[in-house]
Amino acid sequence: MAGKGKKTKRTKRQAFYGMLYILPAFVVIMTFCVITIFMTMYYSLTDFNMYSPPEFVGIKNYLTVFQNKTFYAALTNTVKYVAVTVPVQVVLALGIAAFLAEKLRNSYGGFLRSAMFIPQIVSAIAASAVWKLIFRTDGILNSILAVFGSEGMNWLGDKQLAFLCVAVVSIWKSAGYFLVIYYAGIMGVSSELHEAAIVDGASAMKRFWYITIPSVKPITYMVITLSVIWSFQTFDVVYQMTGGGPGTSTITLAYMIYQFAFANYKLGFASALAVILLLFVLLIHLIQDIFFKEKKEA
Amino acid sequence: MRSRKKTGPATVIGIILVTFFAVLCIAPLIYMFLLSLTQSETTRFALSDISFDFINYRNVIFRNDYGRALLNSVIVVVLSCIWTCLVSAMAGYGFEKKPVPGKEIVYKIFIATMMVPGQVTIIPLFIIMRDIGWLNSYQALVIPMAGAFGVMMMRSFVKSVPDVLIEAAQIDGCSEIYIFTRIVMPLVKPATVSLTIFTFVSAWNAFLWPLVSTTKSSMYTLIVAMSLLDTKLETNYGLIMAGATITFIVPFVLYCFLQKQFVEGIALGGVKG
Repeated sequence: MAGKGKKTKRTKRQAFYGMLYILPAFVVIMTFCVITIFMTMYYSLTDFNMYSPPEFVGIKNYLTVFQNKTFYAALTNTVKYVAVTVPVQVVLALGIAAFLAEKLRNSYGGFLRSAMFIPQIVSAIAASAVWKLIFRTDGILNSILAVFGSEGMNWLGDKQLAFLCVAVVSIWKSAGYFLVIYYAGIMGVSSELHEAAIVDGASAMKRFWYITIPSVKPITYMVITLSVIWSFQTFDVVYQMTGGGPGTSTITLAYMIYQFAFANYKLGFASALAVILLLFVLLIHLIQDIFFKEKKEA
Repeated sequence: MRSRKKTGPATVIGIILVTFFAVLCIAPLIYMFLLSLTQSETTRFALSDISFDFINYRNVIFRNDYGRALLNSVIVVVLSCIWTCLVSAMAGYGFEKKPVPGKEIVYKIFIATMMVPGQVTIIPLFIIMRDIGWLNSYQALVIPMAGAFGVMMMRSFVKSVPDVLIEAAQIDGCSEIYIFTRIVMPLVKPATVSLTIFTFVSAWNAFLWPLVSTTKSSMYTLIVAMSLLDTKLETNYGLIMAGATITFIVPFVLYCFLQKQFVEGIALGGVKG
C-alpha cells in the first residue's frame, strides 16, 4: 500500500509539472483564440462603437447585416474566390508536382521547385504593390499585350477583371506552396507500385489517375482545407491592391469586417459579420468531412 | 532507370510549360527589384535607367521611417520565434509525456482553434489589448504569435523521445528543468528549427494584427510601413519598389541559405500533424 501511495503521489506531481508545462500555451490560446470567439458572439448582439461600453440590442445587428447590400456582395465574392482559387491551385499544384516527380527528378526540377516556392515567402502587401503596378493601364502587362497587338485592358478598373486580378495574385502566392507539399507526398508513394504498373504497360496518364491521385488523397484533403481557409480570409491582397473596389466587386467578408470595425467603428455590426464568417468556415469543414469520409468508405 | 525515360514531344512541351510557370513565379519579383533601381515616374523603364547607387533604398530607410520599422520588425520577429518555440515545446512535452487529467480534451480544443480565421477574433483581441494598455507594444505583437500549430508540431516530435530516457533521468534524480532543457529540447531540435522558420515568416509578413494594434508610427512593423508607403501618393515607383524589396530581401536571403529547413518548416510542418 505504501508503494502505491508513493506512486500516486509521484503521478500527481508529474501531472502538476505537466500542467505547468501546458500553462503558457493554455493561457495564450484560451485568451486569444477561444474566449475571443465568445466575446465576438457577445459583441455581435450589442451596439458597440469602441468608445462607450457595448449595449445589448439582441439580433438587431444580424437584421442589419441581412439587409446590407455590401454584405451580399462580400459573401458572393468570398464564395467566388473559393470557387476560383481552390480548384486552380489544387490542379496546378498536383499537375506540376506529378510532372516533376515523373519526368524531372533532377537538379533542374529541384531548381524549378525552389523558384516556384518563392512567392510564398513574399509578403502579400509587397506582392500586391508590385502586381498593382503590373496591372496598371500603363503597366507592364498591357505593354506586353501591345506587342501582340492587343489594346490592353483596364485591369483594376473593370469589376470582373479586378476580381480576376485578386484571384491571380492569390493563386500566384500559394500555388508553389501546395506544389511542394504535393511533391513530397508523391515522392513518398512507393515506387514499386509505379514499377509494377509500368511492367503492366500502364501509361503515364493512367498511372497518374489510378496511382498518384488516390495515394495523395490525405494531402489533397489538407491542401483543400488550407486553400479554402486562406481564400475565406483573403484580406491583405484586397486591402492593398483594390480596397474592395471598383464598387464592391472585390470586397470580401474578411475585408468588410476590418472596414466596419476599424474604419467605421461599428464593432457590433462587424462582430455579426465575423460570426457569420465563422459559421461559413465551420459549414465548409463539415461538408468536406462528410465528402471525404464517404469517399473513404466507397 | 534512365533508359526507360524517353524524352517525347509531350515531355518537352511539359518542361517548357513548367519552366514558363516558374518564370511567372519570379518575374514580378525581378521586376520589383529592377524598378527599385530606377527613378521612375512611370511603370516602364529602360535598362539605361537602372543604376546601382541604391539611392531609393537610402531614401526609403532614412526619410520614410523605414529604419525604425525595420528595427521593430526584427525585434518582433526574434521575440516571436523565441516565445513560440518555448511555449510550443513546453506544451508539446506536457501533452505528450505527462499524465495531465483531461489533456486530450484541451488538446482537441487547441487543434480546433487552428481553423478559426483571424478576423473572427480580431475585434475582442483589440479590445483586450486596449484595455490592458498594450496597444503600440511589442508584447501585443509577439504574445499572440504562439498558437496551436506550434504545439501540434512539437508534440508530434516529442513523441519520438523515448520514455525510458526520461524515466532514467528521473531515477537519477535530474530536475524537471534539467530533463526539459538538456534531454527533451536537444532531441526535438529539428522541429525547433522548422518552427522558428515558420514563425519567422509568419511574424515578418503579418499584416492585419500589426495594422490594427499599432497606431503610432514609431511602432509600425516593416509590412505596415510598406503598406503606407504604397498607398501614400508617392509618384516615384522606384521608391515604393525599394520598400517592397526590403521587405522581401530578409526572408529571401534566409530561404537561399536554409532552403531545406524552409520547405520543412513551412510546407511539411502541416503534413506531419
